[in-house]
Order: sequence, then C-alpha cells, then structure tokens
Amino acid sequence: MRHKHSHGVRSIDHLAYTSGMSGWNPAFKTVLAAGTLVLCLAANRPAVSLAVIAALAALQKIKGGMELRDYFGLLRVPLVFLLLGGLAVACDLSFAPAGEWCLSLHWFYICTDAGSIRFALALVLKSLGAVSALYLLALTTAACEFVGVLRRAHLPGLLTELMYLIYRFIFVLLDTHGRMREAAGARLGWRDFRTSCRSFGGTAAGLLVVSLRKSRAYYDAMAARGYDGALCFLEEDKPLRAAQVAGMLAFWAGLVLLRIVFA
Amino acid sequence: MEQPVLQVRDLRFSYDGKGQALGGVSLDIRAGERIAVLGPNGAGKSTFFLCLNGVLTPGSGEILLDGKPVGKKERKRLCERVGIVFQNADDQIIASTVAAEVSFGPMNLRLPKEEVVRRVDHALDYMDLQAFRARPPHELSGGEKKRVTIADILAMESEVILFDEPAASLDPMGEERLEAVLGRLSDEGRTLVISTHDMDFAFRWATRAVVFAGGQVIADGAPDAVFRDAETLRRAHLKPPALLEVFDMLRARGLVPADAVCPRTAAGLEALLDSGRA
Repeated sequence: MRHKHSHGVRSIDHLAYTSGMSGWNPAFKTVLAAGTLVLCLAANRPAVSLAVIAALAALQKIKGGMELRDYFGLLRVPLVFLLLGGLAVACDLSFAPAGEWCLSLHWFYICTDAGSIRFALALVLKSLGAVSALYLLALTTAACEFVGVLRRAHLPGLLTELMYLIYRFIFVLLDTHGRMREAAGARLGWRDFRTSCRSFGGTAAGLLVVSLRKSRAYYDAMAARGYDGALCFLEEDKPLRAAQVAGMLAFWAGLVLLRIVFA
Repeated sequence: MEQPVLQVRDLRFSYDGKGQALGGVSLDIRAGERIAVLGPNGAGKSTFFLCLNGVLTPGSGEILLDGKPVGKKERKRLCERVGIVFQNADDQIIASTVAAEVSFGPMNLRLPKEEVVRRVDHALDYMDLQAFRARPPHELSGGEKKRVTIADILAMESEVILFDEPAASLDPMGEERLEAVLGRLSDEGRTLVISTHDMDFAFRWATRAVVFAGGQVIADGAPDAVFRDAETLRRAHLKPPALLEVFDMLRARGLVPADAVCPRTAAGLEALLDSGRA
C-alpha cells in the first residue's frame, strides 16, 4: 500500500528507492555528478552541454529505469527558471531602438540581436546540463546516504546535519499543512475568498505552533536513542565496480573530445 | 529480595517551573516484569517515560540502575539500558531507509560496524521487516511504521523497553501482532513497561498495574486488585476491564465458584464455566 504521506510531492527518498541506480556506490555517484558538472561548466560549449543532458537522460532511463517523461517532468521546474533567466540575458530594455530586432512598447523598446540570443541559449543549455548532473545524484541517492558522503568528505557536521534535518522537516511540514488544509476544507474553509484568507492565516499560524511541537517531539525521540550531536546511520556496503569507473572516464573523455572538436 | 533493575525515588519534574508534571513518583521495576501504566491523558505517563530514559532531567529525586544512582552526567547510561517506543511513529522515524532508521540507535551507541549490521539484521528479522529494508519508512502503513519503531529499540538491545501507547492507531490485526511480539519479548526475559488506555489489554497482559493521576502514582499492584479498587478507578477515570465485570456478575449470581480467581482471557472464563458445570 502506498501511503499518501507527502501530498503530491515525491520525496527524493522515494525516487532513490525506485531508481535502478540506488545500488551504486554513493561516493561514486557524487564524483560522477560533480565531475560532469565541472566539465559541463568549464567546457562552455553548447555541444558539450547537449551531450551531458542527453547522456544523463539516457543513463536515468537505461540504468535508473526512470521514464523519460517523468525525468523531463522533473526538469521542467528548473527549466522554466532558466528560460526566464535566459530571456533576461538575451533581451535589453532601452529608450531608443537598438540591436537587430526591436519590439516597441510605446514608452520603451525591448531589443535583442542574434549574438545575445546565441549567448543566452548557450547559457540555458549549460545550466540545464549542470542541473541534470545534480539530478543524477538527487534522483538516485537517499538523503542519509548523501549526508554520509559529505561527512566523509569532511564537510562540517553541523552543515550536513542541518541540511538533513531541514530536508526531513520540509516533508513533516508539508504533511502537517496538507492535513490542516483538508481539515479546513472539511469545514468549508475554502468556500470563498474571504474565508480562504482567514483559513490560510489560521493554518499558517497553526503550522508554526505544530512545527515547534514536532521539533521537540523529534528531538526527544532522537535523544531517547542516544543522539548526542552527531547524526549517524549505517550505510549499506555498495561496492564500486570497475566497469562503472571505466564508463565514467570514457564519458568524461568523450566530453573533452567534444570540447576539442568544437573549439 | 531480588535487586530491581530500575528504581525511582521521589521523582519530580516540571515543564515550566510552575505546574508539576510529576509530583514525587517512586517505583521499583524488577527484571522480567510486565507493567501496565494506566491513567488519563496528562497524568504524567509520557513525562515519566522520558525521565526514565534520560531524555528529561528530573527537577529532583533520583533514578537508580541496579541499585546505583544515575548522576546527571551519566544519563547516557539510562538510554543504553532503557529504550522507548514512542506513541507517534512519525515523530520517531528520521532516516531515509528502514535499515538506516533501525541502525540509528546502535550507531549512537558507538558500536563497531559489524555489530551494528548484526543487530540491524536481527531486529529486522524479529519484526519481519527484511522485505522493507531499502524502503523509505515514511511511505509505510501505520502498522508497518510501528514495527519499524519497535525494531529501532530492539536493535539497541535495551533490557527495559517502555512503550508509549503502542496500540494507538493500530488496526485489530496490528494489535494482535503487537501483542504477539510483546509476549515473545517478555518470554525472552525483557522487562516491558507499557502505557495504555486499553483496560482489557492491560488486564490480560500485565503482571502489575501502575496507575498515574495528576503526576503521582495512586495505585500499584496486581491488575486484579487495582481494577477492583473503585476509588482508584474513579480518581484516574478508568473503567474496569469487561472480563472482570462479567466475572463479577457471574459470581454474584453463583454461576462461578465464590473462591474462583478471575481468568485473564475469555477462553479462561469459558474453561472455568465448563469446569463448574462438570
């Protein structure tokens, strides 16, 4: 039975559980993601960015067993942000007509030229490549595994634990808020705009109180199991395979080659 | 007399410095006991549990482990020996997979990795959770989550296990399963303390009943005696178990021998009635 816990938001823990790549060594996945990210940014060529996007999508489909529709669905949110940002990069506002194309808006002009558009497109692709590199990690690795990798990379414990607890709490709050919304709805709390405003205020205020109480309950339960300031979990041994490392190196070599070809 | 595992002497605790959540509780817990902690909401049962496990530091009074007082600095010793299964599984579960969740306690005990692996495996086997080991615990059903939280504590191998209203939010099937696990734990010599509102369960299962009201222990003894004490039941707003009421009615009408002891289960009552007819 799939318990409707997260009210529509799929936790990365769930994605990691369903992913075929969850058995991969988390440190390896982190290196692969970080290395690809750096290469994609350093190469600074649309061809390399496109290769990264395509290769990682293929990896998620073939090795991760994720439907491409779902994968690109998850990429849609960052894509919208990137497109809006790209638009801002490509276009200029001016009071006099300038550039190759100009849109008159009575008081001012929105202008752009081919060079700016090319630059913006390259930027969007590069960013999307970087996002897919991060998705490689986020969609296949359980949160506590990733925290383990960061800890072994000697990131300060305070930082990794804050990260983990904040992540955990997002779902606690979403869940609580979802329940409060339902409860308000059951009492006609969203029947019209005025009532909705009042209900929204009420649930928001309630959320604060509930989250304080919840944080206390969480802390008590952690302390009861001997928590003393270091969040440790057992990590299952996930051996590193030579073929994976070879694949990674070949992929990176291919990216470098592409960069040389499109110099 | 046998040395109690855990002794509590005049324990007092207050959340805000004014009202008293616990107003002088004294209790001895012996190894292998099955104690039902009864009492209305807000009587101090959960606070008492948190003090016993060392999460809360009592305002005054002392806790003794094997007869030796536990100092303020040694509270860690308490949580090594006494485990709590919290009422709300969602408050207890923090990890992203069931196996990692169960490992949290043993990892905090700073055990070597092989030992942690052994304990996690054992706890998962015990609670029949091996099939779920890689699953995110937050997606499990209520009964499954409860099993995960029990496995959490089993992996710590605590001698004394406190259960805070374990049957709350379980379906009848889940309750039955829980009771089987409790029986098994008790047979293995574990000391179990359970707070509950289910009088029938307490009567059937416990060897001793402790009643809390207003932050104090108002009754402590065999379930039979405690449930027959009308004054205690009134003060703690408790109802006698159905079986005891039925038994008393039968005895008043001479249908069971006047000197018979009330059986703990319906099957026991049936056997008693049959033996009377024979």
